Amino acid sequence: MTKSKDQVKVMVIACERSVNLDKELSGAHGRDLNGVSNAYVVRVPCSGMIQPRMIESAFNSGADGVIAMGCQIGDCHFREGNKFCRERLLGLRPPVIKKSVPKNRLKGFWMSEVQVKEFKQRVEDFKTEVAEELSKEAAKA
Amino acid sequence: MFTTLVRTGQKAILRIEDICNKVMGSEQNILYYHGAMPNFFLWVLFLSGLLLFAYYMPTLEGAYQSVEYITQKIPYGDMIRGVHRFAADGMMLAVWLHALRVYFTDRYREYRLIAWYSGVALTFMMMLIGITGYVLVWDERSFIIVQELEKLLAAVPVIGAGLAHAFINDNTISNYTMSMSFFIHTGTSFALLVVLWIHYMRISRPVVNVTWAIGCLLFGIVLILAGLTPATSGPEAVFTVEPKYFEMDWFYLWLFPVMKILGYELTWLVLLAGATFVVLLPNFVKSKDHEPALVNSNKCVGCKLCSIDCPYEAIYMAPRTDNSRFKEIAVVISDRCAECGLCVGACNFDAIELPFNTSPVVMDDIRIAMGVN
Repeated sequence: MTKSKDQVKVMVIACERSVNLDKELSGAHGRDLNGVSNAYVVRVPCSGMIQPRMIESAFNSGADGVIAMGCQIGDCHFREGNKFCRERLLGLRPPVIKKSVPKNRLKGFWMSEVQVKEFKQRVEDFKTEVAEELSKEAAKA
Repeated sequence: MFTTLVRTGQKAILRIEDICNKVMGSEQNILYYHGAMPNFFLWVLFLSGLLLFAYYMPTLEGAYQSVEYITQKIPYGDMIRGVHRFAADGMMLAVWLHALRVYFTDRYREYRLIAWYSGVALTFMMMLIGITGYVLVWDERSFIIVQELEKLLAAVPVIGAGLAHAFINDNTISNYTMSMSFFIHTGTSFALLVVLWIHYMRISRPVVNVTWAIGCLLFGIVLILAGLTPATSGPEAVFTVEPKYFEMDWFYLWLFPVMKILGYELTWLVLLAGATFVVLLPNFVKSKDHEPALVNSNKCVGCKLCSIDCPYEAIYMAPRTDNSRFKEIAVVISDRCAECGLCVGACNFDAIELPFNTSPVVMDDIRIAMGVN
């Protein structure tokens, strides 16, 4: 199934200490990212809490792309959470992500509290990538 | 206002670190090694100190001459002495950087109390090591330091006279004074290792070493400083001459100008108040309710992943006693739990959860956010 960039839905599972989204969320459930269409955010205490099953669940709920976001690598309030998360995304640390998860539409962002603007830009870019990826997948099928 | 100050500090730190990340990459970002840097300098100090130790004589007659001998006759002796001096300054600087970083990023309280308290103790121990180190040179500055310290110790109520006597190690300054300073200087350095062990308690996989590149950079800076501004002695201390020379080392010897301005009693009060303030700092912030992770014994399969991933050594594996087919169960030590959820991320069986934000709740949030009910 091909989708245009605007139709692409993106789920961001974010560490609440990374990019400061306190004032950036709105919508009926307070989970829509301001300024970026079809981007939804769920926040957890640390990116190290993100389970592979949460990522699967996001894809199963209709997300075309999923972003796992933690603080900059090297700086984690809980010392190692973002490193562990990155290793899981790369399949280097158990529990591993299922093969059925489209890894090309899954990405890790490692950004600090102050990078709100940059974050939104990168989400936009990611949506473009996902749209391209979807058309590639459709071409293969 | 206080909170705003801390938040601004944190944002500034994050911005600077971001720039460093772009320049050096996060693997080699020197600012991410703020805790390992003092440790690096400590090893440099131990090694250079060992070389100095081989030739040093802790006597009134021999001390000054032996330091001069090291500086002038031993090959590279002046460099080793310089390295010892500037690595000490570097260590103190790195310690302050480390302390400010953990303070402004809110990483000093609750589950990190042991590290904060032991860190305060370590800093005071370093002061003691640094000050007694300057006694060993036995130039006029050393003489002033000994006299001032004697008065400072004597100003302590009740036990003051005893303390001063213990430090002078005799009734007047003698060879025993030198051996006492030497003992405090080296003995406290080794005691530092014990307190460091306490400092690392409850921290899984502490970052204690800098990378090779950062190590070379730091050592290079120390070498350049030692080469450009050699560490030298002032005139030798002579009892009959009023000592005047006092070259300042602001990292360790700031106490002496303070003493001069405030007097001995007030200096003690300021030191005590400062130490109390720093020790009490964690109490000034109201902690949120403690809701440690909970293990569901029906779901835990004893896979150990959560206990491995826990960054604060708060989870251990215990033998099961409930006739389960699994041998072990994860047990959370509530006091150590930071409520970070790293154990949740490590668990594939929903067997460990944060009570205020369980993984089923997060999954529901994801579905709701995506508009699926």
